Amino acid sequence: MPDKPEKRLHLSSSPHIYSPVSVSSLMLSVVLALIPSTIYGIYLYGIFALASVLVSVATAVIGEYLFRKIIKASTTITDGSAIVTGMLVALIVPPKTPLWMVALGSLFAIIVVKEFFGGLGSNPFNPALAARAFLLMSFPAAMTTWTMPKGLVVHADALTSASKLADATAAATSQVADAVSTATPLGLLHGHYTIAQIAQYYGASSTGDFYKQLFLGFRPGSMGESSILLILLGGLLLLSLGVIQWIIPVSVIGSTFVFAWILGLDPVFTILTGGVVFAAFFMATDYVTRPLTPLGQVLYGVGIGLIIVIIREFGGYPEGVTYAILIMNIITPYLNKLKTKKYGYVAPPKPVKAVKGASK
Amino acid sequence: MAIKTFRGGAHPPEKKDRSGGLAIERIGDVKRVFIPVNQHFGAPIKPIVAVGDAVKRGQKIADGNGMMTVPLHASIAGVVKKIEPRLLCNNQEGPCIVIEAQEGVAGDEFMAPLDAFSCTKEEALERIRAAGIIGMGGAGFPTHVKLAPSKPISLVIANGAECEPYLTIDERTMIERPEDVVEGLAITMKIVGAPEGVIAVEQNKARAVPLLEKAISASPRTRDGMKMRVQVLKTKYPQGGEKMLITALTGKEVPSGGLPMDVGCVVDNVGTLCAIVEAFRDGKPLIERGLTLSGGACTKPANVVVPVGTLVSDLVAAGAAQVNEDGLRKVVFGGPMMGVAVPNYEIPVQKNTSGVLFMGKEEVRPAEEEPCIRCGRCMRACGCSLSPALLAVAIETNNYKEAEKIGLMDCIECGSCSFVCPAHRQLVQKFRLGKQVLRTMKQKEKEAQNA
Repeated sequence: MPDKPEKRLHLSSSPHIYSPVSVSSLMLSVVLALIPSTIYGIYLYGIFALASVLVSVATAVIGEYLFRKIIKASTTITDGSAIVTGMLVALIVPPKTPLWMVALGSLFAIIVVKEFFGGLGSNPFNPALAARAFLLMSFPAAMTTWTMPKGLVVHADALTSASKLADATAAATSQVADAVSTATPLGLLHGHYTIAQIAQYYGASSTGDFYKQLFLGFRPGSMGESSILLILLGGLLLLSLGVIQWIIPVSVIGSTFVFAWILGLDPVFTILTGGVVFAAFFMATDYVTRPLTPLGQVLYGVGIGLIIVIIREFGGYPEGVTYAILIMNIITPYLNKLKTKKYGYVAPPKPVKAVKGASK
Repeated sequence: MAIKTFRGGAHPPEKKDRSGGLAIERIGDVKRVFIPVNQHFGAPIKPIVAVGDAVKRGQKIADGNGMMTVPLHASIAGVVKKIEPRLLCNNQEGPCIVIEAQEGVAGDEFMAPLDAFSCTKEEALERIRAAGIIGMGGAGFPTHVKLAPSKPISLVIANGAECEPYLTIDERTMIERPEDVVEGLAITMKIVGAPEGVIAVEQNKARAVPLLEKAISASPRTRDGMKMRVQVLKTKYPQGGEKMLITALTGKEVPSGGLPMDVGCVVDNVGTLCAIVEAFRDGKPLIERGLTLSGGACTKPANVVVPVGTLVSDLVAAGAAQVNEDGLRKVVFGGPMMGVAVPNYEIPVQKNTSGVLFMGKEEVRPAEEEPCIRCGRCMRACGCSLSPALLAVAIETNNYKEAEKIGLMDCIECGSCSFVCPAHRQLVQKFRLGKQVLRTMKQKEKEAQNA
């Protein structure tokens, strides 16, 4: 050969081919899976909801870009994880949260929860949920003010007529009296109303009808948790693309159901309300903060379910999903020790009990 | 028939249609060969010819003592021109015997045929060693050692899985020489005393199955009562790995640190089985082999049989395959998942070279490592049920004790983890280095104890 080709040839250790799946393609799938819930949220809460999502995403992306510029680290916004975090923050706060508050939450998620720990892959806590916890503690009033979704008419008399606790009635009716604000089903349950009353309040003819209404997404709440149907649609997309695996969603939802049933709560109501299903597919499955091993994932999911039910039944908040996942995030490194049996693993022989006198 | 497989694995693009339909071409008129002296896994051997000697095709030119050695034979007739170190396909220099064809020097020097079914086991093993046969699937383990296991063998597996993308030489061998594959399997079963033999074929090579089944039913060995069959396996990488193959076929797992014989199995590549048949039937040593020439920058791929020691550059110059020099970015000896990238292709084909790939720009992506996002894809792809993400952390933090505990030495280096990693982490590459570090550490510990 006259011209030596070696100058142009790459040398590297095998493998020499790679799967086309990349971090950014995985993040893009998550964005796609969130779109049905997002569009429905915008339909329910109007142009303000759209602004909320856009502000949150923009703050997250720009925040990450600027922070990494300042600390002279490589730019990572192309991996798409900031877009996902931004969307998630907007979807899990009350729909009419002031935009500056949403932006603050987004910045907290990206900079304090993610970048302070070293960026994507190094954060011990789920950024969006930690941001929600931060906002809830900083602005308790705004973070518990719920807006009536478009087209929902509530029947306040359902609550006043049969109420047992005067305090709860007062609180609920004062909320209901406001034409804009309302209470979430979980908030009402926390105010000691019965499910039949709550169903009536939201205009459902029966409990079964109410469950259907919750499933389809016709109740006050954060944008993301509105329609179980659309969450499942996004979740199934992620499952079918192999972006997430079934273990965590099934163990979170299943254990929430079982623990609620054990504690005498209505298990169907428990999983249909609040953020259980949304978190099971989009929060608990967060790669970075969930355990890696199958057994660890089962225990993680069960732990989340248990804490959700405990907080809802005994806690001061009506909803417990955020803290349940954040608490289980702490245990993740320990759950990673529960490994699958290695191929060809042979258990070391049990030490034979030394027979007296035979040791020499 | 149920299709079997193992747990885990990856699905790299197969790319076998490029050469799977091309019949094996014999490249006859090779004028010079550079035969690497040490191609086998084991103790090095020494040349027994000198520069200037005329040698016949099949004549022994190097040998050594010891269990883990096999002799080497001239792959063409000619004159020994040089004995010199050259860059080999493992990217290290090793001694090569250079033979050039010369007027007046011709002829073969093969051994006398031997009937594998009437000779003793010792005679049979000696014949396989004398023929210089090593595992042709890649590792180059001496076959006579593999066929003398210290444990009883219940199953001989003919490995026709060929799970590496691009490579089609095993597929073509099974299609074109099914009788030899079956005969080789029967000989191997006879030597190790196994009651059963299975030819394992991945689903994407299903067209070889009826041919093999026909060859089995027509074989005189079947009439003599030997039990052989074909098993179809799911197309999945690394299905052709010894451990995965055994687990797919028997459900048993080769114990950690153990060998296939620990679960009563012997695995031989179909190409090796054909070489065994030739060693007995024709007395022909392993002096030529089939390989696939392919890859994205290979405009005319081919399956060829060439003398051992032929330079790949000579093959290309002779037109056996055409390469788009402008688009060429990487040359790989072996498959794209486990093969070795070499700096040029003036490198000789060895007994264990199953293919040479000319890879193009669009395939060779110089990927930059991003941080691990802990997606767990590597863990699901690992055929050994290891946790590559956690192993990598252990190695990066120099925690070799932990790495060993969670299975570093069990890694078969198949590369599935690196293939699937969306963050392009160099996982298997770290494990290769880590295994070496761990071996060195153990060696030092041992020396310290002995001192």
